[in-house]
Amino acid sequence: MSPQRLPARPGEVIDRDRALAFTWNGRAVSGLAGDTIASALAAGGCRVFSRSMKYHRPRGILTADYWDPNTLLQVGEEPNVRAGHRLLEAGMAVSAQNAWPSVRWDAKVLTNLGGRALSAGFYYKTFMRPRWLWPAYEKVLARFAPGGVIDAGSAPRRHDKRYAHPDVVVAGGGPAGLAAAVAAARAGAGVLLVEHEHALGGHLRWGTKHERSIAAALADAAQVAGVEILTDATVTGRWEDNWLAIVERGGAGGPERLIKARAKVLVVAAGLIERPYVFAGNDRPGVMLSQGARRLLNLWAVRPGSRAVVWSANTAGDAAAADLEAAGVAVEHVDARAGCTVAAAQGRRGGLEQVVLSDGTRLEADLLVTAAGWTAPTSLLNMAGVRPRYDPAAARFFPAEPDVPEAGTVLSTGGISGDGSLDELVGHGEATGRLAAARAATLAHRLQVATAWAAPVDGREPPEAPDERTPLGRDPHPELYRSSTDGIVDLSEDVSSRDLRHGAAEGFDSVELVKRWTTATMGSAQGKLETVNTVAVLADATDSTISEVGTTTWRPPFAPVTLGALAGRMFEPVRISSLHDLHVAAGMTPIQAGQWIRPEHYGDPAAEVRNVRTNVGIIDVSPLGKLDIQGPDAADLLSLLYVNKWRRLAAGAVRYGVMCAEDGVILDDGVTGRLGEDHYLMSTTSSGSGAMEVWIQNWLQTEHPDWRVRVTPVTDAYTSINVAGPRSRTLLERLVDDVDLGPEAFKYMQVRRGTVAGVAGCVMWRIGFTGELSYELHVPAGFGPHVWQALLAAGADLGVAPFGLEAQRIMRLEKGHFIVGQDTDALTKAPTAGLERLIKLDKPDFCGRPELQWALDGEPGAEDPEALPRLVAVQPTDPAYVPPEACQIVVAGSDGNERIIGRITSSRFSPTLERSICLAQVEAAHAAPEGTLTIVGTDGRRRSALIIAHHAHFDPEGERLRV
Amino acid sequence: MLLVPCPHCGPRNSADLTLVGESESRPDPSATTPVEWRAYLYEEHNPAGWTRETWYCRLGCGRFFVTERHRGQNRFRNPPLGAPDESARRR
Amino acid sequence: MARRGTGGAEVQPGRRRRPRYPARYSAAALLLRGKRPWPPIWRSGDLRDSYDVVIVGGGVHGLATAYYLASNWGITNVAVLDKGYLGGGGSGRNTAIVRSNYLTPDGVAFYDRSVQLYERLAVDLNLNVMFSRRGHLTLAHSDGALRTMRWRAEVNKHQGVDSEVIGPAEIKRLVPALDVTGAPRYPILGALHHPPGGIIRHDAVVWGYARAAAALGVEMHQNTEVLDIATSGGSGSDGKGPGGRVTGVRTNRGDVSAPVVVNCTAGWASLIAAMAGLRLPISTHPLQAAVTEPVKMFLPAVVVSGSLHVYVSQTDRGELVFGAAVDPLATYDTGGSLAFAEELSGHVLQLMPGLGRMRLLRQWSGLCDMTPDYSPIIGPTPVDGFHCDVGWGTYGFKAAPVAGEQLAACIASGETPDLIEPFTLSRFAEGRLVGEKGAAAVGH
Repeated sequence: MSPQRLPARPGEVIDRDRALAFTWNGRAVSGLAGDTIASALAAGGCRVFSRSMKYHRPRGILTADYWDPNTLLQVGEEPNVRAGHRLLEAGMAVSAQNAWPSVRWDAKVLTNLGGRALSAGFYYKTFMRPRWLWPAYEKVLARFAPGGVIDAGSAPRRHDKRYAHPDVVVAGGGPAGLAAAVAAARAGAGVLLVEHEHALGGHLRWGTKHERSIAAALADAAQVAGVEILTDATVTGRWEDNWLAIVERGGAGGPERLIKARAKVLVVAAGLIERPYVFAGNDRPGVMLSQGARRLLNLWAVRPGSRAVVWSANTAGDAAAADLEAAGVAVEHVDARAGCTVAAAQGRRGGLEQVVLSDGTRLEADLLVTAAGWTAPTSLLNMAGVRPRYDPAAARFFPAEPDVPEAGTVLSTGGISGDGSLDELVGHGEATGRLAAARAATLAHRLQVATAWAAPVDGREPPEAPDERTPLGRDPHPELYRSSTDGIVDLSEDVSSRDLRHGAAEGFDSVELVKRWTTATMGSAQGKLETVNTVAVLADATDSTISEVGTTTWRPPFAPVTLGALAGRMFEPVRISSLHDLHVAAGMTPIQAGQWIRPEHYGDPAAEVRNVRTNVGIIDVSPLGKLDIQGPDAADLLSLLYVNKWRRLAAGAVRYGVMCAEDGVILDDGVTGRLGEDHYLMSTTSSGSGAMEVWIQNWLQTEHPDWRVRVTPVTDAYTSINVAGPRSRTLLERLVDDVDLGPEAFKYMQVRRGTVAGVAGCVMWRIGFTGELSYELHVPAGFGPHVWQALLAAGADLGVAPFGLEAQRIMRLEKGHFIVGQDTDALTKAPTAGLERLIKLDKPDFCGRPELQWALDGEPGAEDPEALPRLVAVQPTDPAYVPPEACQIVVAGSDGNERIIGRITSSRFSPTLERSICLAQVEAAHAAPEGTLTIVGTDGRRRSALIIAHHAHFDPEGERLRV
Repeated sequence: MLLVPCPHCGPRNSADLTLVGESESRPDPSATTPVEWRAYLYEEHNPAGWTRETWYCRLGCGRFFVTERHRGQNRFRNPPLGAPDESARRR
Repeated sequence: MARRGTGGAEVQPGRRRRPRYPARYSAAALLLRGKRPWPPIWRSGDLRDSYDVVIVGGGVHGLATAYYLASNWGITNVAVLDKGYLGGGGSGRNTAIVRSNYLTPDGVAFYDRSVQLYERLAVDLNLNVMFSRRGHLTLAHSDGALRTMRWRAEVNKHQGVDSEVIGPAEIKRLVPALDVTGAPRYPILGALHHPPGGIIRHDAVVWGYARAAAALGVEMHQNTEVLDIATSGGSGSDGKGPGGRVTGVRTNRGDVSAPVVVNCTAGWASLIAAMAGLRLPISTHPLQAAVTEPVKMFLPAVVVSGSLHVYVSQTDRGELVFGAAVDPLATYDTGGSLAFAEELSGHVLQLMPGLGRMRLLRQWSGLCDMTPDYSPIIGPTPVDGFHCDVGWGTYGFKAAPVAGEQLAACIASGETPDLIEPFTLSRFAEGRLVGEKGAAAVGH
């Protein structure tokens, strides 16, 4: 039997027949099933669990629960495990975190010697000079970082998420929360009850036999009433319209699961958290809160000490004294209500040997239990806009009246709301549950009414339920925060009351300022143990009251959540075309282009270019955005969207167009073909397809709702294949019989509909992004693979081969076609790209018209239009030098300094011309053809380049397109 | 997560919708001045109180609608029911 | 030589005035002082009814402006007003990243000056702001992003700022925790490495400027809310708006007259400007941030991914500090969201899959005033005497020293310095926006 484990106790939660072996700092130890890591270690006689953050003082169990600041341990690969909460498992490798070389003998305790100088904020006041030494200081400071160890190479765990839509969520499974859940469920509401601990019952679990029987009965009733119960789970946050985050630990969803719940009503029954008392030595191992002592004793049968002083200001403390005494511990009971306080806890080597009272009495003890009062964890209520208000008579904060309208859907019950007998608490909980159910029913009805397409609404709206609960009382409680001595206020951050007082004296006289100066409340418990003491010490130091000082903002999450649980599984899929498997089989090198996985090439992009220029190639261009536009006002829509004209586009013709935003900046480009009288097929850039659909809908719905036109996205409905090269017509003629492909019958920039390889309903347009005779086929997507394979089979003797994105990019650059977003940027207006002739200012309206008019003609009153930068085609003097894209172009200024005048936007080595070719944006003054530019390479070398007359480096007249 | 009262779908999570921006009328593009046009392009009322704004029900009905939201408290009022007829502007 | 500033104040440019602290900080002084507290770092007193300059907003911008007005120009009859506590807005909520690897030459020059000032700040202000120059990596997950990184690197190098595009192997060497295998949904193809970038203790910057300004005679007034701005002669029916001139402010503690009023607020810039009858091109959005529990140091550099909307650094305390893009929803509500924490975590684990066992400890929001071109609005306005230092989007903290220095020069001399000329309010009506949009869309 472990040294501190007591004989069987009536309420214990351990299984004495199941021993679990684990290691503690590498040493083999054991505990029992039902133990937490901390209770198992305590049962084995462990007193020191950690070293404090700054001063490396030894620390022991304080609260024996989740919020214990002194028992954060490393468990295997997991840092900062709450050992007061985490259940023991066989084989765990548990170690102390903030100690070197060991938790019992810590070298960094030496910082204690300098402790006098290491007051809060000391680092702001030193290490300024010499400046060059600061990085060295910084490295030393960083070695003192607290916390466990994360192995960035550790294997990821899988985390699921769940959505829930309960009528009522009850946060807290103590007596009031249980009663509320049962009452709400009995009233017909769907109820989710969330309990932070591993079992229901709250503080009744470590209470008397009667209390435990009530807890069991309520838990049974919850089961019977159909309440969904989650234990070891926490409501960690509450946002608008009761959007709740619930974290379920160790349940069906893996190590942690995030549940996102849209509750109609939230009932907060989080209970109370016991508050430490501040005095000299209050952080010594052996100083414990009454709830911690009772939990150790009654849940895990662990004797927390052998000779105890119990200093109590309330019945919970008195109960702890009684429990200890009954368990055979020698107890000195000191009544705080009589005015006596603890002045100091003393002992050698960080241990506890004697307690000094305010009247000078010295009592020998290895355990000091304090019961100084409570903190109401109002976090969830605050997130709903309910402010905490301090009541000095009860010595704690209570939720004030809500100041936001929707707060009627957030209720509280139990200790957070007030005090009472067990019957009163249960009664208040039941009334709260009934009220929650009634309000949820009203909201459910309204939701149904607000949903236009919902089924016929059931009956009439239930009357709004008034809050007729009898408020809970408030037990008087002495205000006990700090003794006459200074002690540690924030145990996780090692902030003392002296630090806070000095901070206030130095001007950090509000709670937010002093918090930032000292880091009080910023540690693992996030203020649950230390906020009110911080406020009280500050109030004392600034001669004000706790009410005047107020509290800091409680921020989510209420309990920390692993990044893994928050992340869940990633749902950001990539898109693939219907031809993807064929590309893989053909040995493509894939590239992510936006959301799409596309073939960058199939081995040799330069060879692919040469094949297109001499034979015929096929490329999968399915990601191209496609919109089907139909209706009598379709031409008006196109005229509005594009800068150029559309009304006189003949049926069977296609046209290139550019769209600008209202500021004149180029938004998108592409070709649109007129398939019939009122029927068009528009193409957009691949990356812009989604945004363009929304853009068009915005214009149609908000500016021209009267237009008779429908726009349907058909990007995924078609597989798009571009057949390019001098032999493309020959190839297609073998697969198409219902369309005359002859050069006179189907001209450049025309569109036909027909049958390709037996697939009817294909759209073919004759365009030439690559600069070659080419046909873009839009094939019903299901037949894409068939047509692709038919093209390859039919053209084998013609040398047909697939080509990838890289070959296409090379060929478009050879032709000088710009890519929106690469050769243009967020400020590139249409004239920069040489589109002056495309812009038709005689149209009364189109997107961006005023800005484009001023860009071309000058602003009213201005003499000349502003000289916009120009997009130019550039050839480096050294044909072998390909300047990396985004290289800067400079010119020597009159002051001798170089000035940036532009940049290379695209560059490639052209296999066709066997030289480097580029597009560049440069200032207008330096953009004249035949001009020489200076490019600064990424290596810093300057190289010259020539501006050529036309954007196209190859076939500027487009003769190869028109054959 | 805020619930946005789409007049067609009913209340939906705000992640399903896009706030397009403050609702503003577009100046006549053939008669506007640079000052007027750029005020339309760039200036915002941006109050910490009630404002009329345009939303796009991206993952729902695909409709644009105008509603009023309190930008200090993230509350809605007067969501018009039925098809929107108000002009709402893009940038 | 004395010149008249726009404030009408006699100004003495050139000679730096050093703050005279009641107690200078040093290691020796710390040991000598022992357990005795230090004197207050700033004074609080009665609000007077007249100042030469009233600065609205006691954040790092307002305090820096006050400090440089006093130290560089000798203008000390200055009040900094804040409706809450000093540094309670964006100054205390940002992720404290400092860098100068911007896209445009104007932006680079501006932020480079800021980094220079930050590097000296601890010595200049006699308060350790703990500038940790640890390097800044902006990851690229697509060839387009890589191109933008190269663009920034090339402009930076031209301006003498240390930036370089590096490949996956070098990235792995600098930050071993990153997954550069190419397996993730967003593979790491390269990064912009900016060695001068780093993190700083943001609150200390606030306190350092406040303490130094106070030592030069500037008054700090907390819990002092500006309710209205008094102007005369404006084009609006109420005498406000363009063409008018500012005469003072009305506060919850009484009226104050001043020939110069400076709007140094973030999150409330539109509301303060509206008090002077001006409409700004600003939309206010929350920016969220979060911090994890501490772990031992493993992340030696600041890591940013624009396409994943995440930036992360590890503080000297061992915590990871995360930030993201601004929330898409324009609002003044700082309640934050769960979606932020979910997306952020998902994206962090994309970059560093081994961090799934770390825990998010706390999340919070600040307000960001977003302009159409991701650049600030700084300098004079159409209301005479009313200056703006607003619209700082998500990059205000890193700019505070240079913004304060240049705005002080602008106020004192009446001339707009070259460094802030590109960022004046008039650029919007004139249609000459700043080209940072491409790079700053990813920010930080």
